[in-house]
Amino acid sequence: MGLVQREIEAAGFSTISLSMMPELTKSAGVPRIAAIEHPFGLTLGPPQDAARQLAVLRATLRALEEISQPGTVVHLPFEWDSREKLNLHPPETPPIARFLRQHPWYVPKFLNRTPPEVRDQAAL
Amino acid sequence: MAKIVNSYRFLDGIPKQIMKHWATLGERRQIPWSPLAKPMSQCTVSIVSSAGVALKTDEPFDQEIERRDPWSSDPSYRVLPRATVTGDVRVYHLHINTFFSQQDLNCVMPLERLSQLEAQSEVAHSAPSHYSYMGYTLRHDTLLRHTVPDIIGRLRQEQVDVVVLVPV
Repeated sequence: MGLVQREIEAAGFSTISLSMMPELTKSAGVPRIAAIEHPFGLTLGPPQDAARQLAVLRATLRALEEISQPGTVVHLPFEWDSREKLNLHPPETPPIARFLRQHPWYVPKFLNRTPPEVRDQAAL
Repeated sequence: MAKIVNSYRFLDGIPKQIMKHWATLGERRQIPWSPLAKPMSQCTVSIVSSAGVALKTDEPFDQEIERRDPWSSDPSYRVLPRATVTGDVRVYHLHINTFFSQQDLNCVMPLERLSQLEAQSEVAHSAPSHYSYMGYTLRHDTLLRHTVPDIIGRLRQEQVDVVVLVPV
């Protein structure tokens, strides 16, 4: 998402990412990040918790207003209660996880984010 | 003490190691910068979500693309009008449990919350259109060469000032 944010900012819009992995997002070279310690798939907060979702969105927009240095991360103060046990797993194993299990010699390519040429892969 | 977000709290095992490694890969390059030109209360705001949200009346995202080539995903995008609610959409994403966002779209795309901020005059407008694409891909040529420029064209047409990007 960092690459997308860079393009939109470069086109003249003020942008901010609400990121659960601020270290990763920052490494993409994005202008503004609001960091949130929420589980994947629950970026704004739990279902039906409108108060929390509103507070997170408001804090994100406030961070956008406050940041004056490109590349700044504002760490939002929201805490996630670890006693809340949620099933965060997708219902089916992600295709890349299944693929790498069957073709472990492609793991270095995945680690370096350099996908094989489509035609090489068609030969599998 | 001020909160510092732990980027890896909800990961373990191999995915955690991979994300930590990916965070070291970024090249040092100039960060684009468009300063906010006016107070937030005068801004039109649009949301871009990588959750793969599509109106039920729209074409579904093609998840078979990723099942055939696990390094990629459907590079297209969908427009979500500002009044979209949970019952109007489906969520297409093979890396998260979409159960929560299908119960409440605002978990990943806070359109109702943005309308509340508009009603309270904290922002001028929720833009007429908001956008979603399928976030996971390592082949992002089409996304960056076609999808994003299309979205940017629409943002300009609708005179958007601020874009909030919401990964999942």
